[in-house]
Amino acid sequence: MHNTQAEKFIVPMGPQHPALKEPGHFEFTLDGETVTHAGVRLGYVHRGIEKATEARTWVQNLYLLERICGICSHTHATAFVLGVEKLAGITAPPRAQAIRALIGEMERIHSHLLWLGVAAHEAGFDTLFMFSWRDRETIMDLLEEITGNRVNYSANVLGGVKYDVQEKHADALRRALDFLETRTEHYLEVVKNDEMFLRRTRGVGVMSRELAEAWGVVGPTARASGVARDVRVDAPYAGYVDFPARLILQTEGDLEARFSVRIQELFESYRLIRALLDHLPTGELVKTVPRRIKAGETVSRIEAPRGELFYFIKSNGGDKPERVHIRTPSICNMSSVLSLAVGHPLADVPMLLAGIDPCFSCNDRMVLLKQTARNGAHADEWTWEQLHQHGIEYYRKQKR
Amino acid sequence: MNALLALLLFPGGLFVMLNGLAYEWVDRKLVARMQNRLGPRWFQPLADVAKLLGKEEIVPRGADARWFNGLPIVALAAVLTAALYVPLLGILPSVGFAGDLIVTIYLLSVLTLCLALAGSLTSDRFGLLGATRTLTQLFSYEAPFLLALLGPAVVAGSWQIGTILNYASGQWLIVTQPIGFFIAVIGLMGKLELPPFDAPEAHTEIVAGALTEYSGRGLALFRLAKNVALVVGLTLIAGFYLGGIANAFEFVGKTLALLGVIVVLQVLFARLRIDQLVGMWWRVGALLALAQWLLLIGWKLWSAN
Repeated sequence: MHNTQAEKFIVPMGPQHPALKEPGHFEFTLDGETVTHAGVRLGYVHRGIEKATEARTWVQNLYLLERICGICSHTHATAFVLGVEKLAGITAPPRAQAIRALIGEMERIHSHLLWLGVAAHEAGFDTLFMFSWRDRETIMDLLEEITGNRVNYSANVLGGVKYDVQEKHADALRRALDFLETRTEHYLEVVKNDEMFLRRTRGVGVMSRELAEAWGVVGPTARASGVARDVRVDAPYAGYVDFPARLILQTEGDLEARFSVRIQELFESYRLIRALLDHLPTGELVKTVPRRIKAGETVSRIEAPRGELFYFIKSNGGDKPERVHIRTPSICNMSSVLSLAVGHPLADVPMLLAGIDPCFSCNDRMVLLKQTARNGAHADEWTWEQLHQHGIEYYRKQKR
Repeated sequence: MNALLALLLFPGGLFVMLNGLAYEWVDRKLVARMQNRLGPRWFQPLADVAKLLGKEEIVPRGADARWFNGLPIVALAAVLTAALYVPLLGILPSVGFAGDLIVTIYLLSVLTLCLALAGSLTSDRFGLLGATRTLTQLFSYEAPFLLALLGPAVVAGSWQIGTILNYASGQWLIVTQPIGFFIAVIGLMGKLELPPFDAPEAHTEIVAGALTEYSGRGLALFRLAKNVALVVGLTLIAGFYLGGIANAFEFVGKTLALLGVIVVLQVLFARLRIDQLVGMWWRVGALLALAQWLLLIGWKLWSAN
């Protein structure tokens, strides 16, 4: 090996690495097996979606924004429609709001089960991985039955939802929930009692409440550290106003707590879906929303499976948004991984990374330029001409 | 002529390799079924090896091509030699000599050493980490594994595999030496880097460990070597602890039963960290093996008087 840089042993993870299901680049400096420094470079799946929204109509953007994330597509659409409806001064009918929450909870179930599998796989526990993904198929099939799609359901439209939940769906869903409940109880038992698995999770990556608050961690990661933060509870939206969600909280802050918080949230989702199905409001599904949205700006917040999803939407009164800014939960949690990794063995790093349930495609909203001063401009103040010039030079360099 | 046949077809060479591939299939299929997957078709391991043998071998920059290509051959040759001394299909080895047990065990370790060397010779960081972990694991399980296999040797009063097998065929030593049996099985899993002892090739951490840079023939040969080592190890443990191997029927039945135990252990557990592994072997494994060994020697001395 090369020992050029002052005897530093740096292990690169990514952009292509078996532990990462999406591209991201991590660099871990090792002392033996212990991590002494961690760095990250994101942006490999930056797709320029925020900019692209400005060239599309409000309705077209629904379908575009849903494609930000392949797992929590519904939350993106929901956050967007709620914001746009607020701007237009329209409230979707109660049945539509309830169905939004219903599909949101179904999405949380499949997302958490997917995460459970991935996290178990990172720990080399492939049996749990295979079984949790098998059980996840039940909810995927139901999502397909209700909306016609497994991933990008596009259940939302401006002013309501597209699909109704009929009695046959409700019956199938109740049966599926009974099955999933018994399975989830088993997984909770495994996660809490399997000695070999506890060796990899208990006391690993402990994040105290103070640290979690200082790093601005969100979602189940924060709730595992005792930070009571859940948008569904703090600022209820859509169906959660009438069907309140309970906050799941754990104080240990280690990987085991992150496992157990997410699994307990599954039970909460089952309970919520049952309540929603039993008392689904009747009435229409959609209200008409004008093609042009009133000028103004608004903020819309949603509890995605990974934490708080934040949308800023600005309209200039036209049929296209002036600006849409999105902050996804994964970017808030990313810094905690880097700080926690230091001092842990390399073997724990994939687990720590999986512990925040990272979603790199969601992350990559913007590109951070490392150059300090260029073209006489400060790094974070680039004019449009300078950016244009930078793009030309960059690709000319690539061609060479 | 007979010697040549013995080397190429049976018990060395072709037979043991095919046997290893068949056992790899059993292993993969059973693990898959227990994990609610379909698993590979029966010829999949053979197809994998055939495909790999036909692929281009890319020697990474910075690695010595002679070592890079030579190490897999040495590894396979070592385990094939080891196969000559074990009773494959229940036929007692014809080339045994006093002390061939030790030689066999160390020929199996040559495989591990070759793996570690292969990993450390490439400039790849995953390979280097994998090599370090391979060696760390070797140092932790090797002593208990050796002690576990020497247990039957002590009671039989010989370090020749043939003699031990004759002694063991009368009785199931697993009854009198359960600790030794258990440690031998776990040690074999560690040697073959099977889960949960697969920290040296933990693919979510270090891609493929020592073998990260191997793509074609070298990878095929290393995999074949591991398969042969699996057969040799299973035969030794089954022969010593499970009442000897008298015929082909017993060979297949006992080794497959043992493989079943290994499969269940693979499915049940999450991967151990390398530091946890070393701690477990030295704090528990080595001490238990040593205690049983001392007990056996004491019993031997006492019964001799």
